[in-house]
Amino acid sequence: MTLTSSELEQLLRELVERRIEPPSREWLERTLAALGAAPDRGALLEAFTAATRRLGRARLAPTEAEMARLDGAGVSWPIGSWGADELGRVALLVAAAAHWPEAELPALVEECYRQGDGAERQAVLRALPLLPGPERFLETAVDACRSHIQPLFEAIACENPYPARYFPELNFNQMVLKALFTGVALERVIGCDGRVTPELSRMAAGYASERRAAGRSVPPDIGRLTGERGDQP
Amino acid sequence: MKLFDPHIHMTSRTTLDYEAMAGAGIVAVVEPSFWMGQPRSHVGSFEDYFASLLGWERFRASQFGIRHFCTLSLNPKEANSARIAQGVIDLLPRYLSKDGVVAVGEIGYDDMTLEEDKYFAAQLELAIRFDLPALIHTPHRDKKRGTERSLALVREVGFPEGRALIDHNTEETLPLVLESGCWAGHSIYPFTKMDEPRMVALVKRYGAERILINSAADWGVSDPLKVPKTAALMRESGISEADIERIVWQNPVAFFSQSGRLDLGPLGDSPAIDQTRLWEGNSVLRGQQPIVKR
Repeated sequence: MTLTSSELEQLLRELVERRIEPPSREWLERTLAALGAAPDRGALLEAFTAATRRLGRARLAPTEAEMARLDGAGVSWPIGSWGADELGRVALLVAAAAHWPEAELPALVEECYRQGDGAERQAVLRALPLLPGPERFLETAVDACRSHIQPLFEAIACENPYPARYFPELNFNQMVLKALFTGVALERVIGCDGRVTPELSRMAAGYASERRAAGRSVPPDIGRLTGERGDQP
Repeated sequence: MKLFDPHIHMTSRTTLDYEAMAGAGIVAVVEPSFWMGQPRSHVGSFEDYFASLLGWERFRASQFGIRHFCTLSLNPKEANSARIAQGVIDLLPRYLSKDGVVAVGEIGYDDMTLEEDKYFAAQLELAIRFDLPALIHTPHRDKKRGTERSLALVREVGFPEGRALIDHNTEETLPLVLESGCWAGHSIYPFTKMDEPRMVALVKRYGAERILINSAADWGVSDPLKVPKTAALMRESGISEADIERIVWQNPVAFFSQSGRLDLGPLGDSPAIDQTRLWEGNSVLRGQQPIVKR
């Protein structure tokens, strides 16, 4: 089951509001109300950037009841590591999606990403699976996989259902190889097991062979892709 | 022994690195254009980048007695950006005929997408048109397949193998490259790519013909002294002086001389240093006494 954008916005807003102080709460309420009344690009971009200063970085760490509600809303992947700012930014984008002309949303999201700092870019990537027409954001998501900034790469590759749902095979395989290459545990790649193909197995086996030829260790979880045993950590 | 580092991104390094490199015997470097650790989103950023490789960076190197050459290209990662890729390709002819541009590069594959295929081939064609060799990067992921595809593309385009340098080789790719007739580069890195003892083992097994080593030092964890350090380990391990000199000097000189634009000056000596000189009004000095060595 998926909720409409405004129901999801409500749920995300409640989650963040429980974790912030009254002045921050007022700011968020005021900002979201203004967005709902009259979508304003400049105001959204400004609020999106200001979110860390306004909301702080406290970790979300949801309760079991909250996790059940999230799961009911279709958010079945872990979001416990998100900060209040990240959650607030995702709520802003979800709210924007509810109020913006549908065709203008991709340009707005792209602008948040391209002009964003590291934390803003990560929040955009976390929001992608929650926005309407998620396949429209494929280019941004794939671009993030090319980054050498590990937290940015992990924001799309880890605890995010987007790649398994929307990436073409080539991009998904490259992302998984990069996860292996950068020491990311494959269990963090949502939906990885369901996307293993003979080509991905071949690439992973090739990587194991290259590592062994260089006298280096092989990631312990490579068997998820190849069926072989990796080295113990 | 004079040393040549044929792949190093000096734009990301400090003047202390230049001093240390010169002190260790490096007299010439090739700086390939590449990406900046994060994607650029405007073609104009490349215009300024190419200008800095041809201008300020060459001047900076000269202030420490090092000759600086460069290779220019749209790099494999950014070939995937629809915002800039074709624009950079259209810009390149303005720059590829300049002095001190000794190859098109680094080009090649990153994710092995259709866009990368297209711009890799287009830039091999540009290299033919501007009578330049090509410096070809091989990918970190799916490296063996990426190398095979690079060699296949070089053949398909009809690019002369003796004018192609395939870089970042490993134990599994070097035999393929040597068999093809292309030159084989090795990036000696602290943790990934290739290290000194493995490089020594490769030279003992395959010899020195068409083999190059470089530091590929950039903004990441890397070491601009990897060429002298690897040469030292080769010496300790009993590799002949003639073979070492071939790898760290004669091979890179022979390869990049094919551009007709590798001007190493008389006998390839270090250029004279004159730190009283300015570049567009700027000096590398910050209040020090200028060094002048003729």
